[in-house]
Amino acid sequence: MRAAYKVLAYLVAAEVAVQAMVMVWGIAGLGKWVDGGGVFDKVVIESEGTPPFPEVAGIIAHGINGFFVIPGIALLLLIASFFTRVRGAIKWAVIVFVLVILQGQLGGLGHDFPLAGALHGLNALALFGAAIYTGRRLRAAAAAAAEQPEARTAAPV
Amino acid sequence: MTRHSGRRPPGTPRPLRIALPIVATVAIVAPLAWLWQDSWVPAVYSVMDMGHPDYGAGAVPDTSGGGGHGGHMQGQMPDHDMPTPRLVTDMIADPARPADIRVDLVTRQQMLTVAGRSIAGFSVNGTSPGPQILARQGQLVEVHLRNESVADGVTLHWHGVDVPNAMDGVAGVTQDAVPVGGEFTYRFVAKQAGTYWYHSHQVSNPQVAGGLLGSLVVTPKSGIVQQVDVTAVAHTYGGMRTINGKAEDFRVPARAGQRVRIRVTNTDNGPMKIWTGGSYRLLALDGTDVHQPTDVSDRSLTVTAGGRADLEVTAPSDGTAVRVQLSKATAVIIGPPGVDVPVPPQPASELDLLAYGTPAPLGFDPAHPTRRFEYRIGRRPGFVKGRPGLWWSINGRLFPHVPMYVVREGDVVVMHIENQTGEVHPMHLHGHHEVVLARNGVAASGSPWWVDSLNVPPGESYDIAFMANNPGIWMDHCHNLKHAAQGMIAHLMYEGLDTPYRIAGPADNQPE
Repeated sequence: MRAAYKVLAYLVAAEVAVQAMVMVWGIAGLGKWVDGGGVFDKVVIESEGTPPFPEVAGIIAHGINGFFVIPGIALLLLIASFFTRVRGAIKWAVIVFVLVILQGQLGGLGHDFPLAGALHGLNALALFGAAIYTGRRLRAAAAAAAEQPEARTAAPV
Repeated sequence: MTRHSGRRPPGTPRPLRIALPIVATVAIVAPLAWLWQDSWVPAVYSVMDMGHPDYGAGAVPDTSGGGGHGGHMQGQMPDHDMPTPRLVTDMIADPARPADIRVDLVTRQQMLTVAGRSIAGFSVNGTSPGPQILARQGQLVEVHLRNESVADGVTLHWHGVDVPNAMDGVAGVTQDAVPVGGEFTYRFVAKQAGTYWYHSHQVSNPQVAGGLLGSLVVTPKSGIVQQVDVTAVAHTYGGMRTINGKAEDFRVPARAGQRVRIRVTNTDNGPMKIWTGGSYRLLALDGTDVHQPTDVSDRSLTVTAGGRADLEVTAPSDGTAVRVQLSKATAVIIGPPGVDVPVPPQPASELDLLAYGTPAPLGFDPAHPTRRFEYRIGRRPGFVKGRPGLWWSINGRLFPHVPMYVVREGDVVVMHIENQTGEVHPMHLHGHHEVVLARNGVAASGSPWWVDSLNVPPGESYDIAFMANNPGIWMDHCHNLKHAAQGMIAHLMYEGLDTPYRIAGPADNQPE
């Protein structure tokens, strides 16, 4: 379960990186398309079929990742944390989970108040850092715990 | 959060160390699992069983439930001592009256060619948009539909026309979807002159986007004063903006000084801004004339998804042309053939319909409603049909736990529509026209603002009113058809009515 915990934590961090990449990719594509005379409004956003420019995929991926995939991973991380028996594992899984929820809220809020979008960008860095730290600290904490005899008896979970 | 991790005091009993994580996991997973299972709808169901009845502080029918079903998806059968409900299929135009206009429409699933590109879509009589149906006010229109090849089945909904309920064309509510090889005949009297459109209301999200639609125009008995009368059906095929199916500007030849009526029809899922280089007059909205409209310049007009706007534009007297922009992408160009003008800049401000034109009698008194409803649109995480996501909620609850607004014929209904989400919602009530009383608490002061498709932007609220004068079971939904497919659907039903049709079932009815 500790391995799963570590993988899930790093997965959150990797996903944050992916989110930043696909979003900028999408916006770059939008800029190029508008520059070529394309019109991007609600009607185009809501139209079906072939997207007006291929980088729309980045914006769509950002939404799917942010709404479904990352909260799912964060939830699994939280559940895994119950079984790691490492000090602070739950605390950091909760922190990551809360930052993920906050990130979704800020992203959604950005549609009403664009300034919230700026905090969405800032919170992404906090989440990335927290997820990396959560994964890294588990190894150190587990090693420390392994030196404790009572922890060793409870080890193979 | 229980702190049971890490180096535990040696005294912690082992069973507890095993049990606590499991309990914590169950505490998280169990509510999610319950919400997940609660979000499913039965494989086959009646819309009568959907959600919960809302009587809007009005009279509650003597018998429990709206028209005979129990509500709450319990699948209760009507009690035997209840009066037999009337069926939506009884709500038809006079069957003895011969039709004044007969139209045959054949629907096909086919590749469409737009701007040289091939797109998978749908056609009506071989084209998309399909043929325009032109009727004169008071005529009985009879449309014979045959589905040649649309695999999912089709229906035709007469968007904006207050047809008898059985003719509303909603699969699973007012009829079964017409399968390949099947037929259906629609009959209705075109009582109100104006600009309308028709589209499929079976699997409507992909079918309408794919072009299963057409224009319907009802001209007044007295005729119109404009010398030129054109319809501009705006539709986006696979990201390509078109007018009347062509991805290019729509040229309308007009001599200097001629008055042109442009019937703008927005068949897309999002609102469209329109504006002109000179001035225009908004003659009608959603098939209802504006009372004493005035000239508008430097203001754009928002035509919401599903909405129509009739503009009057005069061809310039100096022999030049004028552009009517339907978004920045496409335009109607009015003037002598071959003459063009640059794209006029998009005005920074919008025409406010709350104060446009002058007041006129409504024909009923909304100050003393017999029903008051709320239609609060929200968005929250949860499950719909087992799928997790951020879903649209109506009055705080997710599909299928949506309100069933119950009215009685003759009711004066007032509804408060509020958009608490970050996206615009074009709200469309079938079978009725509603008048805007107020926006964000500010009372309307202009012409009666009648709509069947109301643009409700984020954070805004509207108070609307209508007369319950067309018995039936009517959808009241978001006409961003993607949103409808995501569960943004409620119904307005008249008490004592029932439908023999089912969602899903043998005909595989999927109205959204």
